[in-house]
Amino acid sequence: MTKYAMVVDLDRCQGCRACTEACKIENNTTQGAFWMHVFRFEEGKFPDTKVSFLPRPCQHCDNAPCVKVCPTGARFKREDGIVLTDSDRCIGCRYCELACPYGVNYFNWQKPSEAYYSEVIDWEDADIQGITGGAIPPYKNPDLGLRYGDEQRRTAGGGQAKGVVEKCTFCVHRVEDGKLPACVDTCPVQALRFGDVEDPTSPISEFLREKNPWTLLEEAGTEPLVKYVGGKPPASHAKEIERPEVRV
Amino acid sequence: MATDVRSKEQLPQGVGRFSAGWKVFIALAFVVFAFGVFAYTRELSNGMVETGMRDVGTMGGATWGIYIAMVVYFIGVSFAGITVAALIRILRLEKLRSIARMAELLTVVSLILGALAIIVDLGQPVRGVINLFRYARPQSPFFGTFSLVIAGYLFASLVYLYLGGRRDAAVMAKYPGRLQWFHRWWAAGYEDTEEERERHHKSSFWMALAIVPLLIIAHSTLGFVFGLQVGRPGWYGTLQAPAFVALAGVSGIGHIVILSAIIRRVLRAEARITEAVFAWLGKILLLFLAVYVYFMSVELFTLLYATPEVEKRLSDALISGEYAWIYWGSVAVLVIPMAVLAWQALNRRWNVGLLVASGVLVNLGAIGKRYLIVVPSQTHGTLLPYEVGSYSPSWVEYGVVAGLFALGALLIGLFIKAFPVLPIDEGEEVMSRA
Repeated sequence: MTKYAMVVDLDRCQGCRACTEACKIENNTTQGAFWMHVFRFEEGKFPDTKVSFLPRPCQHCDNAPCVKVCPTGARFKREDGIVLTDSDRCIGCRYCELACPYGVNYFNWQKPSEAYYSEVIDWEDADIQGITGGAIPPYKNPDLGLRYGDEQRRTAGGGQAKGVVEKCTFCVHRVEDGKLPACVDTCPVQALRFGDVEDPTSPISEFLREKNPWTLLEEAGTEPLVKYVGGKPPASHAKEIERPEVRV
Repeated sequence: MATDVRSKEQLPQGVGRFSAGWKVFIALAFVVFAFGVFAYTRELSNGMVETGMRDVGTMGGATWGIYIAMVVYFIGVSFAGITVAALIRILRLEKLRSIARMAELLTVVSLILGALAIIVDLGQPVRGVINLFRYARPQSPFFGTFSLVIAGYLFASLVYLYLGGRRDAAVMAKYPGRLQWFHRWWAAGYEDTEEERERHHKSSFWMALAIVPLLIIAHSTLGFVFGLQVGRPGWYGTLQAPAFVALAGVSGIGHIVILSAIIRRVLRAEARITEAVFAWLGKILLLFLAVYVYFMSVELFTLLYATPEVEKRLSDALISGEYAWIYWGSVAVLVIPMAVLAWQALNRRWNVGLLVASGVLVNLGAIGKRYLIVVPSQTHGTLLPYEVGSYSPSWVEYGVVAGLFALGALLIGLFIKAFPVLPIDEGEEVMSRA
């Protein structure tokens, strides 16, 4: 059996948010949706303050609260550990968003085609149309419309439909193709690693054996498949700085 | 046509006769309802971006807003109606029989409103109506709210209302008129013989017995929607389910008081809906209020004495921060009526005006408390270092909620002109025949 997991090395992360950008382009996520978000946060009292970074993808929990509360089974967990949303079945009740303690779910508040930064980019502009050829978003990932896994459900990528919830898929369309998730592939300092943790000889298993991994919000009992090494969890008084100012 | 007019006049309780006041009331309710529908069309065509709700987390919003607060509120109101109706049946409270149908009607109407409030909150409403049943998962607490409440509870209440009304429908069906087909259809061959009455009585009794546990379960699952979520400070707790049931009782009995007083006034039914009825309702309301205020105090003392760090931000916002005015305002409109009711109970003198005022106030308090359960845990209850969020409902949400209330008024208004809202008693039947 395969079980995919991600390891975030906080000793390496420099908070550049390249992963955030890669994710947005790869998955065509709409404005304000950050499937991979990197917290830049501050702890302590002046003058003893410290700025830290914490990448936050979906934690793909083994005991996922979002899967438990979904009234229709649109949110489900695959055998290989990936937690996905069936955008054809989701009814948009947003209960998963509230059950999740990590805040990784994003709802399509409007028609996706109207939710691609139209406030800052005039897609109708002739110069821009010359580059994009009229496509919104300009690069539309063709793999996202396909069906994946044993279930053959439409689960990959963002901007699927108005009124459904979407979130990080561990780039299921890339993983099934034998590639790494976009964020892992992009990270310039290898702070993100991805692989099969059921295979004891895989690089990620060896890496985890060497280190002392921890998980986010362990007390919530969610058993995440995203492990962190180095650093420490943010204190409850931590304050976010430089957060993305977006509210659709 | 002259005979037609006279026969219509014979129908008891103004059924089939449209007074000017009623027409104005229906017209107003319809206008507000139409506005609600218009507001909802905005949401349907442009997406839920028209509401004030946004994603929890980086977007700094609340993803459930007043819609869900109203779902909880409406389903709560339905609780008392059917409880009162079932209690009257089980405990044979003959004096209160006059408000039984009103109470059942209130349950059916508020359940319909609750179901609609869920639908308007869905991003994919059409898909929702299908998938909530097609792929129903009993493991989700939402199952209790939608599939169980709507499919089970609403159906049971409708059957109960139907069974309870059959005798009167048979009486009404004897009168010629435009609505005769409706009364015939309702009576469905019932002729009020001794044997039929006995059988009816039995089935209604068992139905009442079955409904009581069903409704306790339904309302507890509504509490579970929030109470089972570990990941959201302020929600996780054992007290959620029983507190939901208690507050449901408060708001529902409050509504019955208001509705009884209005119908008593409109139908000049002082002899049917007696002071004793109001005294009983007042005592039940006082009981539910006392239980709820007790739960509320326990919760407050727990928060004040020792707050876990993750809950601190939330409880500060509730008790002394952004939401303090709603919190203390709701506490006031729950505690003041409780004092007024207790004072009336001690004096054994019940004033209908004061009771109605209490009914209105406790309902405002109930809406406030429902809002405080739903919203602050989202804006102030994130466990990762997200910034504090904000939520203020948009005009679309206010419009839809107003439209729902208007629809409720419309349904009740239409019902009382199509069917006697007070059970027809023997005397009335003879009088109107004469």
